[in-house]
Amino acid sequence: MRYFFLLIITLLSTILFAQEKQFATGDNGKFIYYKVVDSQKVSRDIIVQRTKDFVTAQKKSIKIVSDTDSSVSAKGTLVIDKTVLVVGHPSGELNYNLVVEARNGKYRFWLTDFEFIPYQRNRYGNFVATTNIGTPLETKVDKLTAGQWKDIQATAYAKVEKLGESLKVFLASDAAVKLPVKPAGTISTKNW
Amino acid sequence: MKKFLTAVFTMASTTCALAQEAPTSPLEISGSVDTYFKYDFAKQPNIKTSFASDHNSVSLGMIDLVLKKRTGKASFVGELSFGPRGQAQSLPNAAEDVSSFHIQNLYVNYDFTDKFSMTAGYMGTFIGYEVISPVGNFNYSTSYLFTNGPFQNAGIKATYKFSDKVSLMAGLFNDWNVYTATRGVSSIGGQLMVSPVEGWTAYLNVLSGAGAGGYGTIEDLTTSYQISKTFKLGLNAANYDIDNDGGGYAGVALYPQFAVADAVTLGLRGEYFKYKEVAGVAGDKYTAVTFTANIKSGGLTFIPEVRLDHNGNKPFVKDNGLAVPNAGQFSLAAVYAF
Repeated sequence: MRYFFLLIITLLSTILFAQEKQFATGDNGKFIYYKVVDSQKVSRDIIVQRTKDFVTAQKKSIKIVSDTDSSVSAKGTLVIDKTVLVVGHPSGELNYNLVVEARNGKYRFWLTDFEFIPYQRNRYGNFVATTNIGTPLETKVDKLTAGQWKDIQATAYAKVEKLGESLKVFLASDAAVKLPVKPAGTISTKNW
Repeated sequence: MKKFLTAVFTMASTTCALAQEAPTSPLEISGSVDTYFKYDFAKQPNIKTSFASDHNSVSLGMIDLVLKKRTGKASFVGELSFGPRGQAQSLPNAAEDVSSFHIQNLYVNYDFTDKFSMTAGYMGTFIGYEVISPVGNFNYSTSYLFTNGPFQNAGIKATYKFSDKVSLMAGLFNDWNVYTATRGVSSIGGQLMVSPVEGWTAYLNVLSGAGAGGYGTIEDLTTSYQISKTFKLGLNAANYDIDNDGGGYAGVALYPQFAVADAVTLGLRGEYFKYKEVAGVAGDKYTAVTFTANIKSGGLTFIPEVRLDHNGNKPFVKDNGLAVPNAGQFSLAAVYAF
């Protein structure tokens, strides 16, 4: 019995802890997931290249918008699931912008501009987007839809956190990275 | 035909072996339940379109259960429905008391590439704007175009996606709404999807072969445009010609919808529909206007609706039994999707 109560208390604590996790708000009032990572062993160039590799590996859901020698900007989509125990179905998608900026010794990344697009089951039993216009995730909604919106925000946070962790792991990994090959310089034999 | 089908199945079975090695997705379970109250102003069922048929009764729609699973490039969908809407009112043999499989969708799909896929089985029709599941419709009652068109098509189809803006489907199908072909694999169908601008999708559909009332051809345009965050406009137009002057129908329906709050959307369906002339006898012409609200809270949607239909040939009745050109009804439905 003692173990049973202990288990219940642990579960409740976990649930309460989980509920506390939510997006921070950026300077512009939008939700943001922001991390600065110490990376002494990996150079700036490698961080940038690995970020590009990370995006390439998930090219169906993330696309690079722009990049420089020290940063990468990308747009992506995460599918939000509605899960009860082990079964469920997609309930919508979350569009976001990802920025990674690198310096020697550290890098930072953030995900923001979150927009949620709900899914609806179509005539073939597949879940598809009901609209092309997303609702900003930080939007305040009315009472009738508040409960559902809160669940979506919580699931979105969990998904974004997972994506952030996988990015960190990828950038820290020793996987072979194709560094850009500098074109060989032109040598003139006329003047010497 | 035999050679084509043999080639398709050989290709499918060869590549299936590879697909089995791919990771599997969890089993998806979704569905809905719906119930409604309808009051007909003539105090008897008067408007003959599908569903919401009972007068002055709290009645059942259906419980709908959908299973889906993907293993690598292969997937299946099975959709079972139980209740008046999902059985006798929409399935081929439910009313005959012989057997009812309760099946709305039962098909397998294989994505050969990101662009090319093939699907075989019993599928919701690709024709028309409205569907059997109440979750897929804004209005609870249905249009004349829906009631008279196909509900499901069993067959095999191939879809090629040129881009996110254009795709093409072509397939071979049984006659409409049957689990087993009564006239062989007798129809050919196609669908061109175009999305000229973001938010606007149009489907140009053709189905030719064995259908309702004989062999014929149906051409259908189904399109919707999310013009702004709050305003969406849908359109369905169709023409069905049955061979040898066997009649058919033509019609158009417009679906403007306006979101007035996060949880509340108001919508109108305006429809013109006519049956075609058969043996010199002109068909009936209907106009119908349906005003509907969707009020959502979580998975639950309340759908209050007022509908007014008109036909100059007086097919409707008044509460005293006299034939009249107009009919009206009020309904309140509750649909829960999970």
